[in-house]
Amino acid sequence: MRIAIPKGRLQDRTLALFAAAGYDTPSESDLRSRRLVFQRGGIEWILVKDCDVPVYVEHGAADAGIAGLDQILEHACSAYQPVELDFGHCRMMLIAAPGAPPLTKVATKYPRIAGQWLEQRGIRAEVIPLGGSVELAAVLNLTSHVIDLVETGETVRVHKLELQELVAEISPRLIVGKNAFRTETTKIRELIARIENIVMPSGVEAPGRVVAR
Amino acid sequence: MVEKKLRYPTGVRPLLVEETARRRRIESRFVNILEDAGFAEVVLPIIDYVDPYASVLSRDSSRLSYRFVDREGDLVSIRSDFTPMVARALAPTLDESQLPLRIFYRGDVIRCDASRLGVDRELFQIGAEIVGDPSLEADLAVMNLAAKIAREFGLAPRIVYNDTSIASLLSSDERHAVVTKRALTPADIARRLTPEIAARLEAMAAALDPSTFALHLDDLDEETGYYTGIRFRLFGPDSRKAIAQGGRYDDVYQRFGAPAAAAGFTFTIDDLD
Repeated sequence: MRIAIPKGRLQDRTLALFAAAGYDTPSESDLRSRRLVFQRGGIEWILVKDCDVPVYVEHGAADAGIAGLDQILEHACSAYQPVELDFGHCRMMLIAAPGAPPLTKVATKYPRIAGQWLEQRGIRAEVIPLGGSVELAAVLNLTSHVIDLVETGETVRVHKLELQELVAEISPRLIVGKNAFRTETTKIRELIARIENIVMPSGVEAPGRVVAR
Repeated sequence: MVEKKLRYPTGVRPLLVEETARRRRIESRFVNILEDAGFAEVVLPIIDYVDPYASVLSRDSSRLSYRFVDREGDLVSIRSDFTPMVARALAPTLDESQLPLRIFYRGDVIRCDASRLGVDRELFQIGAEIVGDPSLEADLAVMNLAAKIAREFGLAPRIVYNDTSIASLLSSDERHAVVTKRALTPADIARRLTPEIAARLEAMAAALDPSTFALHLDDLDEETGYYTGIRFRLFGPDSRKAIAQGGRYDDVYQRFGAPAAAAGFTFTIDDLD
């Protein structure tokens, strides 16, 4: 079984989660090396950029992984999402400078989600895809608005921008490839059960679908 | 002036001598097996009107094909799925006294999904179907034939199957729960089965070799497409990619004016290494 771990924001919590679930995860020194593939406890752990986890799992290059709903939606990833995790929650928001003109252009790292949201809201606006530092687009008047993830709101405050509307509640999930589920059913079911046990030890009802308010 | 552009449009490429030889060898083995099993070949056009398929293909699946306007102003598409095309081609000439028919076909389909990475592809497929036989025996025949073909290629096939008619027993929320794997385990679903479906699945499991075939009651997609009964996927040594898939689609011929049950499968040859 091959499991994709997202580098960056979710990496440490993700590794801690698998360790708590009883998996032999890559060690600190493993991670300090430049390697990206680690064999541990019969599992091949791969370290990939967070936005690539859904791609690896979708195409079967990894059997399972941890990915944010933002990346799952942006890639239209069809993998199963059996467990919503209890950390790393944030919100995807529409952000603008105070007194910004009506929404006509929006900069974002999530052109697909932004496009769909605008469509749902009946707003005709141009989506400008950017690779990062999206807030600058509003600060420098590249666009009137941006759509981006907000965790603490610090970036928004520093740039003197304001939060306008919620686009979606975002949480990381355990994702499992459909074909992995079909062919490695026993291992995958055990993985789901073990992760679920850590996230919801009391057997609390799993949260439902996360949709924009 | 030498044309410098080396690349091809996304997802397509030529096969040069060695690959072509390999492709042709695989094809001829397929044709031998299918002809021995009493299947006869039909050849289907590479493009067709979009209109006739409107009621068979969901909007999402018809989006998978390249579409354009022909010289008469009609919307046409490059074929992306053989199954409805076979039905449209055969339906007007189906003679009930000659059913069931055993048909096979081969050729390229082109799938484009601009919204998803890396799935733009030209695929060479060979498929077969039994037309006009709604019986469990026909289901078993196509499933066993698919397994037999895989074995002829030296593979140890594993076939995962389910009955898509289960989807109609579940509410859309429940169906969503199945695809997110949050609720509705195979045991939950087993309790919900109608006696008829349960009996059919039991008879099927009894007739199929358990080392090759596995019933997964919770293997349901959110959209069942044109499938109305059994749906299966065949895996070889690479458990991450199905080599073949198929099932029962009893309404497809009906949509083209000939009420005939049908069950079949398609192998994607590029995936058969």
